[in-house]
Amino acid sequence: MIEMLKVSNLTKRFGGIIAVNDVSFEIKKGEIVGLIGPNGAGKTTLVNLISGFYSPDRGKIEFNGKNITKMRMDERAKLGIARTFQNPRVIPNMTAHMNVLYAILGSEHGKELTMTEAGAEAIYYLDLFGLLKKRDVLAGDLAIYELRLLELARALALRPKLLLVDEAMAGLNPAEAEAVSKLINRIRNEFDLTIMWIEHVLKVIMRSAERVLVMHYGRLIADGKPEEVVKKPEVIEAYIGEEEV
Amino acid sequence: MPKIEPRRGKIVIHLLGRKYEWTVEPRYWRNPMIGLALWLTLPLLIYATATSVFHYHPIALLSTLIFANLLIMMAVPFNLQVIGTGRLSFGPHFFLAVGGYTAALLSRDYGVSPLLTLPAAFFMGAIIALAISPITIISRGVYYVLITMLLPFILGEITYWRSDIFGAETGIPNVELLFHTTGNVTLDVLIFVYVSLAIALVFLFFVDRTLRSRYGLMMGVINEDEDVALSYGINVRWIKIVTFTLTSGAMAISGWFLAHYQGSFSGPVWLMPSFLIMVLLTATLAGKGAIYGVVVSAYIVATLREITRVSLGEFSVVVLFLILLTLLYFLREGFWGLYRKRRYREYEPSIRVRRKT
Repeated sequence: MIEMLKVSNLTKRFGGIIAVNDVSFEIKKGEIVGLIGPNGAGKTTLVNLISGFYSPDRGKIEFNGKNITKMRMDERAKLGIARTFQNPRVIPNMTAHMNVLYAILGSEHGKELTMTEAGAEAIYYLDLFGLLKKRDVLAGDLAIYELRLLELARALALRPKLLLVDEAMAGLNPAEAEAVSKLINRIRNEFDLTIMWIEHVLKVIMRSAERVLVMHYGRLIADGKPEEVVKKPEVIEAYIGEEEV
Repeated sequence: MPKIEPRRGKIVIHLLGRKYEWTVEPRYWRNPMIGLALWLTLPLLIYATATSVFHYHPIALLSTLIFANLLIMMAVPFNLQVIGTGRLSFGPHFFLAVGGYTAALLSRDYGVSPLLTLPAAFFMGAIIALAISPITIISRGVYYVLITMLLPFILGEITYWRSDIFGAETGIPNVELLFHTTGNVTLDVLIFVYVSLAIALVFLFFVDRTLRSRYGLMMGVINEDEDVALSYGINVRWIKIVTFTLTSGAMAISGWFLAHYQGSFSGPVWLMPSFLIMVLLTATLAGKGAIYGVVVSAYIVATLREITRVSLGEFSVVVLFLILLTLLYFLREGFWGLYRKRRYREYEPSIRVRRKT
């Protein structure tokens, strides 16, 4: 498989805290890579660095062979990096339809479309995520499950190559989490996506991801197949803690 | 060459590899047309009936209409600026003064005609705005408010410091009027009313088209959440700079109009915080991002100002602001909010989808 994302020696500090410490990894085209780790491990910071929300203090990010370390967030989005947010950041005063429509209009391919064409495409994405009936509902009035779906629909509407999913299961019940997990797998297959998926629900990641990265205190402590990674002592220690004697 | 393609309910224009769409919906034209007709006939009605019906000199009433149109000229681009930059500026009147001084100085010192001082005023306002536009990116909240608030104060000080150029409170006299007077003062004022109304209409048209375009929608996202806008791939910096520059240039045109309407321009009069508050109240009473609400609120603000000025004299400002603040309290979504709530569907694009079975 072709290498899509290459992160080399990435470091980000916030004052005295090193949120991401010398992290290096690669993601190949078409992979679903899970990123796990305890609270404060630096997972979201890493996603923020890849998406351009933060700029790194050190290190290099390459996307499809292009150095994007110094690129702005909007430039990275245009290259095909889309993301969802840990806390859904939809536009509450606009309808679900408008939220997706705006994403299309802002995207590169949206420039080729008229408003009506973009509106129809937005409907397609809403339908894909089962939100068609909610299209005229203000995003601020949607339930958390629907918000998660709307965020995914909006991200997919940008026609990304790499989708960064930041805790799509947070706040969902097991049935909803299962549904979202299935949808993420489905869109990966249908849209030929590469996905980097941060998640707290380990069971889901173990089932869906082909590779898992584990972070702890800003460092990458494991990288491998899910069943192998969970057996590593440093991963068990990070999650359960050191056994007191 | 542009290719025009009429379709059902809309016209699509193909130009330079892009498609531009104009939705033609005659069923939504009735109310705006009635509003426009009323707006256009109001000055004539006042001109004809001021003395007999209102027992008031028409010039005073017509001047109130000019002030209302001036508020529209300021508040419409101001609203667009707020949407496109996601920032609330406290210095729109600074750009009015820039436009006014540019037009007045060019007219008095170099004999430049009003037709040429118009682009000069626009460009001067736009160039100054472009120079300071990074503030829309690097500052937000109270810092942005403070920076924009300082601009009119600095210009006010400069007008006193270099009173040899700017004339301080006296201002710059002997500015050429927009047209040769007819000899009938009331008729001249009526013409000025229509000139100001025409400028306000042009502003409304351009801002309406902008807000309905894809750039307008992008501005809407920036106004709501800049990070989300960035994640959409929207070049937030570019849109902010362009919006700030062009809307400031548009505000400078208000100054150009004042200079050529009054035949002089005195900055300190317009750089006062009371005028800024009038503009802010007009924009706020209109409703969030509601450009047509500006027309209603501008006429209400201007009328209340005139009534309180005549009846209360020195206390007028206090009473006027109390009335306006009370209105603001009861109309949280502004005047346009009242209308929009009843006719919501008209302003949200909708698409009907029929499933294939």
